[in-house]
Amino acid sequence: MFSMPRGTAPTLAAICALALTVAANPTRAEAQTYPSRSIEVVHQYGAGGGTDRFIRAVGVPFEDVTGQALVPISVQGGGGIPAYANFRLRRSDGYALMAIGPDQVIAHALGRIDINTLMPLARVQYDQGLFIVRSDSPFETIHDLIATAKADPGAIKVGITGAAGFDETLVGLWNLRSGAEVTAVPFGSAEMVSNTLGGQVDAMYEEYGPARGLLESGDLRALVVFSEQRLPVLPDVPTAQELGYDVTLGRWRAFAMHADADPDHAAVLVDAIAHAVETDSYKTFEAQSALQYRSVLLGPSDFRAFVDREAEVYTAVLTQLGFIQ
Amino acid sequence: MLEPFVEAIAYMFGNPITFLLIIFAVIWGIAFGSVPGLTGIVGVALLIPFTFVFDPTEGLLLLGGVYVGSTFGGSISAILFNTPGSPEAACTALDGYPMAKRGQAGKALGIALSASAIGGIFGTVVLTLLAPPMARLALSFGPPEYFALAVLGITAISGIGGGSLLKGLTAGLLGLGVATVGLDPITGMERYTFGNLGLLTGVSFVPAIIGMFALAEVLQRVSESHRTPEATAKVSTQLPTLRELLATRITLLRSSTVGAIIGALPGVGATTAAFISYSEAVRWSKHPEAFGTGVAEGIAAPEAANNSAVGGSMIPLLALGIPGSATTAVMLGGLTIHGIIPGPLLMQQNTQLVYSVFLGMMLANVLMLLFGLPAARYFALILRAPYALVGPAIVVLCMTGVYALNSNPFDVAVMLIMGATGFLLRRLQYPVASFIIGLVLGPIAELSLRQGLMIVDYSYWAFASRPITAVLLLAALASLVYGFYGQYRRHRARRTAVGVMSIPPAPTNGATSGGVREGAQPP
Repeated sequence: MFSMPRGTAPTLAAICALALTVAANPTRAEAQTYPSRSIEVVHQYGAGGGTDRFIRAVGVPFEDVTGQALVPISVQGGGGIPAYANFRLRRSDGYALMAIGPDQVIAHALGRIDINTLMPLARVQYDQGLFIVRSDSPFETIHDLIATAKADPGAIKVGITGAAGFDETLVGLWNLRSGAEVTAVPFGSAEMVSNTLGGQVDAMYEEYGPARGLLESGDLRALVVFSEQRLPVLPDVPTAQELGYDVTLGRWRAFAMHADADPDHAAVLVDAIAHAVETDSYKTFEAQSALQYRSVLLGPSDFRAFVDREAEVYTAVLTQLGFIQ
Repeated sequence: MLEPFVEAIAYMFGNPITFLLIIFAVIWGIAFGSVPGLTGIVGVALLIPFTFVFDPTEGLLLLGGVYVGSTFGGSISAILFNTPGSPEAACTALDGYPMAKRGQAGKALGIALSASAIGGIFGTVVLTLLAPPMARLALSFGPPEYFALAVLGITAISGIGGGSLLKGLTAGLLGLGVATVGLDPITGMERYTFGNLGLLTGVSFVPAIIGMFALAEVLQRVSESHRTPEATAKVSTQLPTLRELLATRITLLRSSTVGAIIGALPGVGATTAAFISYSEAVRWSKHPEAFGTGVAEGIAAPEAANNSAVGGSMIPLLALGIPGSATTAVMLGGLTIHGIIPGPLLMQQNTQLVYSVFLGMMLANVLMLLFGLPAARYFALILRAPYALVGPAIVVLCMTGVYALNSNPFDVAVMLIMGATGFLLRRLQYPVASFIIGLVLGPIAELSLRQGLMIVDYSYWAFASRPITAVLLLAALASLVYGFYGQYRRHRARRTAVGVMSIPPAPTNGATSGGVREGAQPP
């Protein structure tokens, strides 16, 4: 094999890729016309991140239902605008989807993208975040944190992921509603956790799933959850609502198509997604990622109403925070 | 300590498929690493769906093996074509390609491979023995420490110029400047984007290095092809001798240590480790001016470091559930899908998994050496192909690779522009290495400086007086001063030498290399 004079490595890669594709894709597509090939899902986050895993987790049962794969296409950076542009450049033939979430609504509120160019298909996940501190933090409860923050506004540093995105909006909303002003410091998701554990920042904003291992080991403690209800796994952690601050925004993950996509295609996809998320395979994933607490599947019309409501909330919050003049 | 190993060995021999998986993974990894644009991250991400059919340990062994293989794989194309197959290998091209161009491709590949394996084994040993304490050490690195580390690396820019300090600094500052294009990492505001959508993502690193190295080299070769004789005839597949390898032992040890520590820091990975250890190799070398011309240490340093960083970046992943690098972030995703909750309890509750990974990575490094050494000679033969065929193939591979990376046509434009810039820099004898170091370390320095200042409420003293930060910053300062002093001394020495030349020369016996001098001993 190694005596091949040139291009051994690329050839090898191609052969391996081909072999695996063939092994994984027994032809099952004859039964129906759409979808007749794999569907690409553009998203703005990295491989291995929450959205990438979301697409893959839906993709496994989706392939059982339709015979076709969902392929995540990651177009990172630039605040999600390049991902949106990439999606818009694709043909509206039913084979291009976009995975959307609050970041798209924020970009819409800021006037960077027009969310009406997207047809909402189905909202699948609705996560909830927490303020989390390390185990030996001086803040025993959220009340300690609020007291300190009110006495010395901005002194408490809260790690968030990404700049000027969902996390920052949520922390800004917390500051507005509670008057307990904290400073959000943007990090990459890994560094945010290490800086919280290492005591470089006082707290971090994170969803339950990614922090689960460190919460269970006792290295981290949750102070408050941003949701309508307490988490069954953290019965002692109050919601912000209980404290009198209406902060329940959470990260959600959903699929959208081009606004002018074929309605028949949309119906097929919504149906397939609805089947996929009811399977054991997806349910297991959902439970492992601790996403089951308020993830109700929203179909196209409910989802559109949800997006419209979110757009109003974000526009109001971002205006109050001074991001929108 | 021993019991979990016995358990893991029993597991692996009980499931012989694990050995097959590791062999497959290393080859798959080398292939992905060596093709520009495919990178180890893609190699790992593509395999994740296939790990579903295996149990979690087998799955993680597969991914770990790919990670090990791909980190070395990038150096093959970096050395042979000046085309780093993956960002980790960018630094290896600096000395690997010049050595290959001299006709010693086999030697360059051999050094890269041995250094990779030694660094990889070192990193795995550190991972096995010291994961929990190393993870705690990594946690003591906050933004100020990251900043100081990046500054220490950046100051080496001045040393790399070879000839001119001024040119080194200019190229480095240019790199730092280009790194600021894109969205502001703290406020999300646009900087130097001129309303251009593509520039929002900034000048991405992979398109930049592929342009700077690979495309610039093709341009260079094309521009001089009418006068250079085909270098193909004298391609040597000679592997490095043991003595040549042992000569780099200090570099190997230093770089492996640097690699393991930097790898363990979340958010900075093998690429940074490679560049910082290259900087250190230059700094501690007795002949810093020779770097960039194809010296063994210049290959051994980045390769030992980036492979050691593989083990290092597994430390926070396994000990804390925090990925130490982009590739381990993908592996983390894979673990979660398998129902494993990464976190500090992993090492206590899943000892069989964790220790199998230790053994698997060790095995992957050994296999890489066993398979790689004989293969290196044959890879070197690729250079015998006429450049009229190789050159266009490189350009095509760069274009498709860069596009495939992020499905972004703008990246291809970045690569083309960087290719032209790289060509120009080399023509004017500005060191490309300094530019690249600025581009790699600039964003880390900027982000961590601003995060750090936010954390300490903009008190510069509180920022700089943290112990680790202070030591690193002082070392950076000392190195700058030493660099200027060295330049001054060399300058003076040259002047004196010119003076000496006018004296009738002493009888010469061509005593340039040790070998010749030995033969010329008086009988």
